[in-house]
Amino acid sequence: MKAIHFTLNGKKASCEVQDKELLLHTLREQFSLKSLKEGCGIGECGTCTVLIDDEPHYSCLTLASKINGHDVKTVEYLGDAELLHPLQKAFIDSGAVQCGYCTPGMLLSAYSLLIKNGDPSDDEIKEAISGNLCRCTGYIQIIEAIRNAAGLCKCKS
Amino acid sequence: MLPDFASVNPETKREALAFLDSLDDARVIAGGTDLLVDMKRGESCGNVVDIMNVKELKRLSVNDGKIIIGSTVTHAAISKTVILNDMAQSLSVACGWVGSPQIRNMGTIGGNLVNASPAADSIPPLLIHDAILSIESKDGMREEALEDFIIAPYETSLRPRELLASVCIKGLPGYREGYRRAAKRAAWAISRLSVAWAISEDDDHFVDVRLAIGSCTPMPFRPRDVEEFLKGREKNDPVIREAVEIVAEEIRRISGDRPSFVYKMPVVKDLVQKALRG
Amino acid sequence: MYIGNETNRIDALDKVVGRPIYAEDLSVPGALFGCVFRSVRPHALIRRIDASAALASSGIVKILSYRDIPGENIFGIIKKDQTYLAEDRVRYVGEPILIVLGQTEEAARKALRLIEIEYEDIDVISDPFISGGSRTLIHEKGNLLSHRKVIKGDIEKGFDEADVIVEHTYTTAWLDHAFMETESGVGYPDNKGRIVVVSSTQNIHYKQKEISKLLAIPEENIKVIQATTGGGFGGKLDVTVEGFLALSVYHAKRPVIMRYTREESFLSNTKRHPLYIEYKTGARKDGAITAIKVSIIGDTGPFASYGETVCLRAAVHATGPYEIPNVHVDSKMFYTNNPVSGAMRGFGVPQLAFAHESQMDEAASMLKLDPFDIRIKNALKKGSLTATSQALHNSVGIVETLKKIEPYWRKRTRESGKTGFGLGCMYYGIGNTGVSNPANACLTITGDGKIALHTGACEIGQGSDTVLAQILQEALGLKMDDIVLVRGDTDTSKDAGSSSASRQTYISGGAVFDAAKKMRQYLDEKGFYKGRSIRDIYNSEADKKLLEHNGFFDPPTTPVDPETSKGSPYATYAFATHMTEVEVEKETGSCRVKKVYAAHDVGRAINPKNIRGQIYGGIAMGVGFALMEEFIPGKSGSFDNYYMPTSMDMPDVEAFIVEDQEPTGPFGAKGLGEPALIPQAASIVNAIKDATGVRAFELPCHIERLKILLEKAKR
Repeated sequence: MKAIHFTLNGKKASCEVQDKELLLHTLREQFSLKSLKEGCGIGECGTCTVLIDDEPHYSCLTLASKINGHDVKTVEYLGDAELLHPLQKAFIDSGAVQCGYCTPGMLLSAYSLLIKNGDPSDDEIKEAISGNLCRCTGYIQIIEAIRNAAGLCKCKS
Repeated sequence: MLPDFASVNPETKREALAFLDSLDDARVIAGGTDLLVDMKRGESCGNVVDIMNVKELKRLSVNDGKIIIGSTVTHAAISKTVILNDMAQSLSVACGWVGSPQIRNMGTIGGNLVNASPAADSIPPLLIHDAILSIESKDGMREEALEDFIIAPYETSLRPRELLASVCIKGLPGYREGYRRAAKRAAWAISRLSVAWAISEDDDHFVDVRLAIGSCTPMPFRPRDVEEFLKGREKNDPVIREAVEIVAEEIRRISGDRPSFVYKMPVVKDLVQKALRG
Repeated sequence: MYIGNETNRIDALDKVVGRPIYAEDLSVPGALFGCVFRSVRPHALIRRIDASAALASSGIVKILSYRDIPGENIFGIIKKDQTYLAEDRVRYVGEPILIVLGQTEEAARKALRLIEIEYEDIDVISDPFISGGSRTLIHEKGNLLSHRKVIKGDIEKGFDEADVIVEHTYTTAWLDHAFMETESGVGYPDNKGRIVVVSSTQNIHYKQKEISKLLAIPEENIKVIQATTGGGFGGKLDVTVEGFLALSVYHAKRPVIMRYTREESFLSNTKRHPLYIEYKTGARKDGAITAIKVSIIGDTGPFASYGETVCLRAAVHATGPYEIPNVHVDSKMFYTNNPVSGAMRGFGVPQLAFAHESQMDEAASMLKLDPFDIRIKNALKKGSLTATSQALHNSVGIVETLKKIEPYWRKRTRESGKTGFGLGCMYYGIGNTGVSNPANACLTITGDGKIALHTGACEIGQGSDTVLAQILQEALGLKMDDIVLVRGDTDTSKDAGSSSASRQTYISGGAVFDAAKKMRQYLDEKGFYKGRSIRDIYNSEADKKLLEHNGFFDPPTTPVDPETSKGSPYATYAFATHMTEVEVEKETGSCRVKKVYAAHDVGRAINPKNIRGQIYGGIAMGVGFALMEEFIPGKSGSFDNYYMPTSMDMPDVEAFIVEDQEPTGPFGAKGLGEPALIPQAASIVNAIKDATGVRAFELPCHIERLKILLEKAKR
């Protein structure tokens, strides 16, 4: 077991993790962050995406011990139902959500793009979410939502 | 599901080498994008040395036309480093093709080399830049050319207790460089075939041509015969056509005739031809 | 107006904050984890199983076999021929044999490796073409699951009248649904001693019935709840984890969780049927199609699943959205020891659309006609007779969808040798084929002054919750805040049928509309429309039973004739036209889909935003079907070798909605879920032909196939 200290969604967090524990399981089980999903377990679907130091990573292939001293964000960081982040609002308004299983990961990849690039091209948006599979939407309304939210996202970073 | 193992997180290279020396049945982990998948699929080891926090291994430095890339520099970092785009464009393009944005944020150049997949995107560009690897252990340091380092598909000369520390390449000023690949989808796909090139030419002649081909033979390789053939040759269609045939010949010499060549041979020929034409 | 506007989905808010509870997110203290031990042989007798070491291993509570099934070890949507747990014989790689219940997932998965099994291999039937004539029988009654014919007019006369004949063979691959959430669920005994199963599913009432038979327990003692479901596409229609969960809870008397790994999902889930299609078209010089003859051979794997449905649906839709005077379709579905194929978005029709739309282009090319003109000339119109001789009286929008696309088609410009354009048209019968397939809906008034809609329709991401709520709003003139949805629970809703066959908007929507008519009359009588509040009406009603209003809708269909398929198998059809531009990279054989124009006749657009979402999603699946997706038994194991489109594979799309209203539909609506996919692959293949001169007769037309076709064309 290892003790780790990190920043989780803007707040200091600590916990004990097994040597072989994956970040996905730490966050789902110890921090009840069920928005992270295990769609494949081998880094080929994107549903387990988290931001580490604001860059998207697959938590299913990240040993929890790696995040000691780092900043970790999940979709809960963006906003909650009472106070939505503009990106979340744009996802709703553009119809970017269907079954919802890819949505948290997709939002995080999009957020990571928008805090670095306030005016991305469609190609840049497509590339930024190319590590998050979606089987329902065909991505088009997701791309539209990200385009619409661009410029509004620097408010919380 | 991962098998049981113990892990350590050294913060200096010395610490990492000491762990590798003292721990039995140890594997080095960096990004984890290959090793953890293999372990979920049945591979096991007693100890894991996680080198991602080792600062010395994360450095990317340019000095006197020499580029030294620490083994845990990620694909994302390589593809976004502006100076690399100038000095080793094929590498920066190739690293931009690796996996997905997440994989590129996690996966490292060292991991790509140690995994030694025939389809590894970073290897052909490093081959044309005559990459030299710096390999360290508690007992010292050795250097080895990348061409010698990979000894078989998924097999390298790296010995237990050794650590790949960095990769050194030379910039090729004045060369036109590139990397192209064929893959079954637009992103997040394994290369079915890849070609890296760096070509220097004057007026109508090839001066120096460097080619490397990936995902075709058991290991990515440089077709030296054709490089030799093209030296100083006039740049025209008959020469290029002949060059393409020489490449095909070299591939057959290495691999014989494989069923996949029905596809791959015409693609290699077309891509090499395009690269030579520029 | 509550319909036809850009209403947001009612579940979107929860989903963007990561709040919905999928089955795997349920926290069930003290739950066991269940894993399935599966066959590694395609066809074998089970000689011996020794699970003693597994049972003795740490953390293992129970191991269940078919002997532990108190009721019937058999299930299936139409023909019940599939065992939950193999008895003396396995028929495919991945077939469930035992269930291992452990204290933790890790314990259960580790124990799987300790189970010893001895097989005696039997001849493997891996080809539907030898299945029919083989002496090895996969089921006692023979290896032919289903044989359907569609006969109209005089096929020989039709070909005699033709000036040109186009004849080709088309084949398609196994595809995986690849929903992002794998099969998962939780089972537990409730405080009344009933067995409750919460799962990721498309049809709660069907699963309740099957579990009842499996456990020999009356249906009222089985409760099935739909968890938030991460996609279905047909792959969560058959019983997957639900039966195992129920059986496990029955024996363990405590909660049990199951969740398939992605590898297990690929191995065990049903696939899209690979079809072998021989297609012959006769046409006159003016472009009129005089005859179509089609022979279809399908491979359903060792169990029926939806094989009969696909066999019939493929046959009925084989001629496409065209009026063909002389038709002869012969469709056979065989058992094999390959993966089980079942329902997947379109039930065989996408495969046939690939064939009939390729034929259309080839016929046009031989006749030197524009591919657009030949389609519009033959397109179904009001009064046309379909291949099953069904007269279409209403809502026949194929011509209108073509006309939406026409301006873009006429002004298309090709970059020679690189880009090309293709068309694809389709029609699709909404609801199940030639059988009763009703839906119920129930409306009540609640104590807090709301109208509650009780529905068994499963929201699997397609948007049915929102659409049903909008239909209710429109019918009653209510705000969304006045409505509560009580859904996805067999206790609180009556059967609405499956979320499949693009049927929920039309059929459950029809049932909601029916209930709403009654509720509206009641509310009107009680003075609601003169300003009285719903809460007041509730409070003043002495007999609370009068607050409940039931709705029902069963689309008017007739069974099809067993010999000719004559009949009206569907009450209404959806129509669509897609136009696609591709760019082909000749060196590598890679094809990029650049732009799609898609026009869909949906009857009436209840929620245009959802409709666009379905169209875009269907196009993505069509891009996968055409260019990359292929499940290869023994090779395809997960997303690292089963590629489906990423954001970078998607074209720009312009979607057009055509509203040719369907009189039997709620406010004129039909369905859309499957139609969005159906014509897409065909339009890509036609565009590749336009760009390069080569035609793919085998899907997927991935980089290797396309490059090889290009190379052959050089010679």
